[in-house]
Amino acid sequence: MSLDNTIKEIKTSFHSDLSNCKTTTDLENIRITYLGRKGKLTVLFDDFTKLPGSEKPKYGKALNILKTDLNNAFNKKLNQLNPDSGKSNDNSEDFSLPGYTLPKGSLHPLEQITSEIKSIFQSIGFSVAYGPEIDDDYHNFEALNVPKHHPARDMQDTFFIDPNTVLRTHTSNVQIHLMENQDPPIRHICCGRVFRNEAVSYKSFCLFNQVEGLVINESSSFAEMKGTLEYFVQEMFGKGTKMRFRPSYFPFTEPSAEVDIWNDKLNQWMEILGCGMVNPNVLANVEYDNTKYQGFAFGMGIERIAMIKYGIKDIRLFYQNDKRFLEQF
Amino acid sequence: MKVSLSWLKRFVDFEYSPSELADKLTMRGFESEVVADFSALEHIVVGEVKSAKKHPDADKLKVCTVTDGNETYNVVCGAPNVDKGQKIVFAKVGAVLPGDFKIGKAKIRGAESFGMICSERELGISEEHDGIMVLDSSCTVGAKIDTVLGETYDAIDVEVTPDKAFALSHRGIAREIAAMSGSKLKNPIEALKATSQSNDVVKVILDKKGGCTRYIAGTMKNLTVGPSPKWLADYLKSVGQKSINNLVDISNFMLLEIGHPTHIFDLKKLSKPMIEVKWAKKGEKFDALDEESYKLDTDHLIITDSVNTIALAGIIGGKDSAVSDTTTEVLIESAYFDPVVVRKGSKKLNLLSEASRRFERGADPEAVLEAFYMIVGLMSEVAGGTLESLVTGESTIDPTLHKISLSEDKLLKYTGQDINHKSVSSILDGLHIRNKKSKTGWECVIPSFRHDVKHETDLIEEVLRCYGYENIKSSYSFSSQMQYANDAEQPLFELKQHLSSLGFNQSYNNSLQDIEEVKVFGINPVSVMNPSSEKMNTLRTTLHRGLFENLDFNFKNGSANTLIYEHGTVFEKKGDSLKDIDQVSNFSCLVHGNFYEKNVHFNALENNFFLLKGMATNIFETLTKTKVKFVEDKHSYCDIFYRIVDGKKNTVGSIGVVADSFLNKLDIAHKTNVCVMDINTSFFVEHFNHNVKVKDVVLYPVVNRDLNFKLDSGTNLGEVCAAMKSINQSILQHVSPVDIYESKEEDNKKNVLFKLSFQSVKKTLEDNEVNAVIAEIIKVVTKKFNAKLRDN
Repeated sequence: MSLDNTIKEIKTSFHSDLSNCKTTTDLENIRITYLGRKGKLTVLFDDFTKLPGSEKPKYGKALNILKTDLNNAFNKKLNQLNPDSGKSNDNSEDFSLPGYTLPKGSLHPLEQITSEIKSIFQSIGFSVAYGPEIDDDYHNFEALNVPKHHPARDMQDTFFIDPNTVLRTHTSNVQIHLMENQDPPIRHICCGRVFRNEAVSYKSFCLFNQVEGLVINESSSFAEMKGTLEYFVQEMFGKGTKMRFRPSYFPFTEPSAEVDIWNDKLNQWMEILGCGMVNPNVLANVEYDNTKYQGFAFGMGIERIAMIKYGIKDIRLFYQNDKRFLEQF
Repeated sequence: MKVSLSWLKRFVDFEYSPSELADKLTMRGFESEVVADFSALEHIVVGEVKSAKKHPDADKLKVCTVTDGNETYNVVCGAPNVDKGQKIVFAKVGAVLPGDFKIGKAKIRGAESFGMICSERELGISEEHDGIMVLDSSCTVGAKIDTVLGETYDAIDVEVTPDKAFALSHRGIAREIAAMSGSKLKNPIEALKATSQSNDVVKVILDKKGGCTRYIAGTMKNLTVGPSPKWLADYLKSVGQKSINNLVDISNFMLLEIGHPTHIFDLKKLSKPMIEVKWAKKGEKFDALDEESYKLDTDHLIITDSVNTIALAGIIGGKDSAVSDTTTEVLIESAYFDPVVVRKGSKKLNLLSEASRRFERGADPEAVLEAFYMIVGLMSEVAGGTLESLVTGESTIDPTLHKISLSEDKLLKYTGQDINHKSVSSILDGLHIRNKKSKTGWECVIPSFRHDVKHETDLIEEVLRCYGYENIKSSYSFSSQMQYANDAEQPLFELKQHLSSLGFNQSYNNSLQDIEEVKVFGINPVSVMNPSSEKMNTLRTTLHRGLFENLDFNFKNGSANTLIYEHGTVFEKKGDSLKDIDQVSNFSCLVHGNFYEKNVHFNALENNFFLLKGMATNIFETLTKTKVKFVEDKHSYCDIFYRIVDGKKNTVGSIGVVADSFLNKLDIAHKTNVCVMDINTSFFVEHFNHNVKVKDVVLYPVVNRDLNFKLDSGTNLGEVCAAMKSINQSILQHVSPVDIYESKEEDNKKNVLFKLSFQSVKKTLEDNEVNAVIAEIIKVVTKKFNAKLRDN
């Protein structure tokens, strides 16, 4: 008998048996006859494996259709005879049990803020640059218009590796490396760890993370710096965030400004970043023609922004890595 | 710098309250905060003490009755100086003192108290807290306190950035106020050129090697030391300084008045009336006014009387030449010291003074003579002395004022906004910068006190600062500069997200660690010369140390199950120069405890070597499209250690089980194996999602077969699988052991069930094709591994 016919025959007799079935005992017998370990369907599958490879695709498909058909019809009947059986078989499951407890992974809050800042600036065409955490005095200070024995050095307490080598106090050293290796236009942010020799307390740590930006071309002005940073603040802190630029001093920029945003809860301004037009001396140090090129730079501390954004009161929490803290992000 | 409003009013008239002034200065580049604003204090009035009796139950307390003119209150006071008849500062119930100190009704040792009699410290005036503040008897009882104290004590704190030396005085700040309000600057003390009483001369010799470019000296005699007049003491008090005596006060007053430091020596304590400015000898000792003894070096500039060192130039005076209660004759110094010399000298001794702060930022060379004559004038007014010697001095300063042109085009290009000519000129006028409009801009002459203005951009900064940053319209033209934005570390961010979704927490650990703890990792570390603490004196050589600490911390705080990772820089010293310091980006993971705890669904699943092995396979395959293998190797602190290698045998990472002994040595709390995984960041970044070439999906069916072998217990199953695969790589797609159980019949044997999947990319496999390979596998495995096929 050809397999085709067998398939048809089994299908017909199964449906006929099923329609005559009145009790669960009858149904169980049908299951054994057709679907059981030695049932007709199982035997048919055994036969199938012995077929030559060339015929397998054709019958394989037909057999699978038969199997699905029989199972569906069987389950339908089972439901009719025993309406509760659909949910479970003999050992009824308790779906009120808890689900599997998966470990609560998280990205560090500082990573999240950094990534958010990066995306905002990337969306307006800034690339990201990286550079060394240990650098020479020249790249960290002198090239940035902070000569030795300048009072501005007091603004950043420095860790020294040797008298001429420092743990960078800002990521601005990356800007110098960048400009030494690339002609304008420059439109970059740099980010990473920076170090300050300050006493560790709830508001200061011996290191923090920074994002700094640099734009150099023939036309970028103070007004454009304001526009760029306003865009950033609205994206980062929400549309309508009140902000102000106020004059300040950094040796590497002139004019310099600090940006505050208004904190409704505390009813006060909070400083979030520093910025300014790149000092022509800095451009001269990297052998850019400072009569032709100009631009602006800005910098911010990630911890400070994270503290504002998440309401964190102690900076040391970022470096303690308490799971109970980390899991909240 | 604390600035008093009343003092500012010596120089300029204004109506701003302390907080208005602070806001205005802040927006001009002087970040300011209100220190004392008496107009903001409610319920504080002038009171009169009607009676003061000892508290019945406390020796040091007094029960007073205080009147505010209308009512009388009981007030308990602890000050020893409180007395009947005094006019005092009375804070009534409901008052809030500076520092958010609220005054309420109180019961002190059984006596009721309705308010407080204030000390200067409680009012934020000074640190004085030994007794209450006693007001002048002319004060009107009941008057609001700002009418009495506000005039004298309203003050703000102004942060002066290092570039703005010109603002380190009341005159400097007043100049800014005059410029912004359009008022005229007044000149309260005329620097009158007094004439000397004799032809005596103080000889001044300056060292030829520089350091001091201008020094003026003169002597005064017939002085009477005594308390300062009230106005002088009040001014000093208004900025929180104690009045000492009239001579010392004058010098301090002049510093805060015009910002030029001067020094006054007791003439009788000098060996002769002579000044020699020179460089110190190495190791020379100097006893300073602050009662400290300093060891000097050859780059310290000193003032001598040709025999003894009498001052450290521009930093601090000597103890032995200081004025005292018995001084009648003085030598006055007014000089200009080189900023770098003062800075170096003070840094070296870690000795900062009000004088050094001003000299190192650059004093006004033209103020030298002015300050000298102001001192002479004040001395004769306050201490009754006369100028004795001819005023002598030495100067090598070029008095020519600096000229800068400000180009209109440049101002426009830099600002991005047109500022009208009149505004620019009037801003420059306000800053005392003489300016003349030319065809292309302004020709400017910079006053001597603005030596910070050296270049055209310095002028642009001044113009913008005074014009107001808020008045410059933002431009959004940057969209024209869009370019391809690249971030080399983006792949690592994807890896972090991947690990975090798998259940890992990301750590950020301190880069600075204790050298003793770094050393045990066996890599030569980089240390910091000037650590802030011994616990943080060396840079990390591995991320493992931090991760171990995170494990220890969390374990001790109740979470044993740990999945953490960190990405960061580690450092290795390979030589003495900067280029010999390796600074490498590392990526390390650590697991400990369980991935799943035992629960109603299944048993606990351990965080172990195999979890990491599986994750590594998955990470490299899904994120870098790299099939990796694991090669056993040795490691200094891992018992079990495997390198992860790619198809070209490059090491792309590693997995290790950390030796218990090592963890115990570091005192890291743990209860299960601690496993670490490292991922080579440069490989990862380079291969991240690169070179995806889609292969056709094979539609021919897969044939699965099981094989059950009895093997020696020690047989390495990885090798068995590899041997099987090598037999036919074209149709045997996958082999893996799916079950292992120890043989019950024989010791030293195990039964292993292997699952094999066959598939051809060309056709549907025939049974006999699969069987042939199976037969070969059985033959090879049986022979090579001393195995025996078991019935399924």
